[in-house]
Amino acid sequence: MAIDRTDLTRRGFLGMGVAAGIITLTACGSDSDKKSSGGGGGAADLVMTVWGGDTDKTTYQQRIDALVKKFPELKVKLQLIPGDGYAQKVQTMIAGGKGPDIMQVAENVNVYSSKNQIMPLDDLAKKAGLDLEQRFGSIGKIYSYQDKVYAIPDRSGAMIVYYNKGLFDAKGIKPPTADWTWDDALSAFKELTIPGKQWGYGGGGWWAQWWSFVYQNGGKIIDDAGKPAVATDEVIEALQWTGDLVFKHGVVPTPKQFADMGADVGADGAFANGKLAVNTTGFWGISGLAKSKIDWNIAPLWRGKEQAVTAFGSGLAISRTAKNPEAAFKAIEFLTSPEAQQKIIATGEDVPASIEVQKSNAFLKPAWMTKPVDMNVFAESSAFVYRAPFIPAWNEMQKAFDDGLADFWLGKKDARTSLTAIQKRLESIVKPAS
Amino acid sequence: MSMLRRREALWFYLFASPWIIGFVVFLLGPMIASVYISLTDWDSFTAPKWVGLDNYVRLLTDDPIFWKALWNTFYYAAVSVPLGLVIGLWLANLLNKGVRLRKLFRTLIYLPTLVPLVATAMIFKMVLAPSGPLNDALGLFGIPGPSWLLESVWVKPALILLSVWGAGGATVLLLAAMKGIPRELYEAAEVDGAGPVRQFWSITVPQLTPIIFFNLIMGLIGAFQVFSQVYILTKGGPDNASQTMVPLLFNEAFSFYHMGYASAISWLLFAVILVFTLIAFRTARRWVFYETEVK
Repeated sequence: MAIDRTDLTRRGFLGMGVAAGIITLTACGSDSDKKSSGGGGGAADLVMTVWGGDTDKTTYQQRIDALVKKFPELKVKLQLIPGDGYAQKVQTMIAGGKGPDIMQVAENVNVYSSKNQIMPLDDLAKKAGLDLEQRFGSIGKIYSYQDKVYAIPDRSGAMIVYYNKGLFDAKGIKPPTADWTWDDALSAFKELTIPGKQWGYGGGGWWAQWWSFVYQNGGKIIDDAGKPAVATDEVIEALQWTGDLVFKHGVVPTPKQFADMGADVGADGAFANGKLAVNTTGFWGISGLAKSKIDWNIAPLWRGKEQAVTAFGSGLAISRTAKNPEAAFKAIEFLTSPEAQQKIIATGEDVPASIEVQKSNAFLKPAWMTKPVDMNVFAESSAFVYRAPFIPAWNEMQKAFDDGLADFWLGKKDARTSLTAIQKRLESIVKPAS
Repeated sequence: MSMLRRREALWFYLFASPWIIGFVVFLLGPMIASVYISLTDWDSFTAPKWVGLDNYVRLLTDDPIFWKALWNTFYYAAVSVPLGLVIGLWLANLLNKGVRLRKLFRTLIYLPTLVPLVATAMIFKMVLAPSGPLNDALGLFGIPGPSWLLESVWVKPALILLSVWGAGGATVLLLAAMKGIPRELYEAAEVDGAGPVRQFWSITVPQLTPIIFFNLIMGLIGAFQVFSQVYILTKGGPDNASQTMVPLLFNEAFSFYHMGYASAISWLLFAVILVFTLIAFRTARRWVFYETEVK
C-alpha cells in the first residue's frame, strides 16, 4: 500500500510536470487578454513593431509623439527590433498570441496576409476617407493580396543610380539619365573601367537590380496568372546581359575581386571608396556616402525596351489580433499623412511614401544635405516603378534564386541553364493564388 | 515504507524540482510537441494540418537539398572531429614537455575558444579572401590558393579550418589528464627501455582514452549541430555546398514558415546523432581504458 503511494506520487509528479509543460506551451495563447485596454471610447494602447537602427527608432518615435500630441487618447508603444531578427520575433509574438497591433511589413507582407494574420484594410480606408492612389501614387496598392489591401505604404523609394561625378567628368562622359539604353550604359561602363583597379559598375547581382532589367526587357518573374515565368527569353536575356557585364566585358568586379576588398564590402562600400563609377542601390546610400571623399550625384535608372525600376519600402499593417482596429487605423492614417511623413526625410531616414512630401521642399532640399544632390530623382523614378511579385513564398523564392544562380554569378553557368533549373524549382514552391 | 523514507523522498523531489521542472517545461514538453508538429503541416500562424509521415517521406525521397545538407554535415563531422582531436592531443603533448613559458602558451592556445564565434568568423572571412593572408602564405610555397568561401569544393574545408581554430578547448582537458598520469608508469617504461614514442603510444594515449572519448562524443554532437559558422560565413552557399542540418532547419522554420517540415528535420538529425553516439559507445569497450576497470 505504502509502496503504491510512493509510486503514485512519483507518477503524479511527472504527470504534473508534463501538464505544466503543455500548459506553458499553450498558455501563451491566453496571456494576451490581460493587456487589452478599454476598447470603447476610442482610447487604446497600441503596440507597434518596426525594424531598423538608431535613426529609424528616432524617426518612428518622433512620428508617434506627433500622433499622441494630436490624439491624446491613443497610446502607442514602439518596439524596434533589429533587422535580422524582425521576422522571427514577430512570428513568435504572433504564434504566442501577443502579436503587435501595428506592424511594419515589406516584401514579405503576404506571408502574413495569406495566412490570415493581418487584416484587409479596404473598408477601414474607405471609412476614413483615405484615397491610397491619391496619397501614394502608383504604389498605393502595392501591398495587396487577392485584390485586397493589407498594408498602407509608409516608406517608398525607388532604386536609383549613384554615379561618381569626378570619374565621369574626367572622361568627359555625360551623367546617366533615365533615357540611357543598355548599350549606352555598357559603353560608359567600358570607358570608366581600368582593369583590376576601377570598374564602371557595381553589378546587378541583387534581385532588386537584375529584376529591374528583367521588367525593362518585358519579362516577368511571376506572370499574371501567378505562375513563375523565369525561363522565358526576356528574363534569360536580361540576366545574361547582367552577367556579361562581369565576365564578358569586365566592367563589374567579380565575386573574387569584391571579396578581396574586405569582409562584407559590397558595391556600396566599393563605390564610397571610389572604386566604382556607378552603383545602383536605395536611398540609404546617401547617408552611407555622407563621409565619402568622392564627388557624387544621383540619377534615375536607365532603361531597356521599357522603363522599370524596383522600389524599396515598407508599409504599416494591422494584425488580426489587434484589439481595436479602428484606433490602429487612425494611428496609421496619421503616421502616413504628409504631416507625419515629413519627419522621415527630416531625419534622413528614408523616402516617405507620400507623394506630396516627395515633391515638397522639405524633401528636395533637406536641412542635413551638404551636397547638391538631385533629390527630384525619387519623384521622377516613382513614375516607372514596376509591381514586384510579393508572393507568400517570397523567402523561398529568393533562396531558390540564390542557390540556382550561385554558379551563374561565378561565371560557371549561363543564364538559360540556370533559369531553366530555377523555373522547375519555383514551380514546386509557388502555388498560384486560387 | 517508513515515514522517514517517504519524507526523504519528498525532500528529494523538492530539491530536484527546479531541475525537473526546467527539464519538463523547456526540454521534454517542447520535444513531445515537436514530435506532433513534425507530423503536421504548420506555418506557425494558422492551425496545424495533420499530414502523418508526409514530411519524413518528402525529406527522404524528394528533397535533394536535405540530402546535400546531410552529406555536408557528415563531411564536416568526419573531418573536423578527428582533426580537432589529433591537433588537440599534439598541442597537449607539446605543452606537457615542460617547455619554457608553458603557462603563456597554454593561455594562447586556449584563447581562440574564448573569442566569440561571430568575431572569429568575421576575421576568417578576411583571412580566407581570395587574395587574403592565407592564400598569400600558400603563395610563398608556390601553391595557388582557391577562393575558399566562393567555390563549392573549398567551402567545406574552409569551415573545417575554422573549427580547428578552436582545438584549444580539447587541449586543456587533455593536458590536465596528462598531468594526472602517474610518473611511475613512465619510469617503469624507461627502465624497460621504452623510448619517448613508445611511451606516448603505450602509456599516454591509453591513459587518456576516457578524455579522448569524452571529446569525441561532445565533438560529434557539436559538429552535427554546427550553425553559427555556416550562418555567418556562407549562409549555406554557394548553392548549398556548405548547407548543414541546423541552418537548413532554421531556414525552413523561421524563413519559409514550414514548422512541421523543420521539426521532421530536427528529429532526423536527432536520429543521426543518436546512431553515431551509440556506435561510439559500442566501440568504446574496445579502446577506452578505465583504470578502475578490470578486463
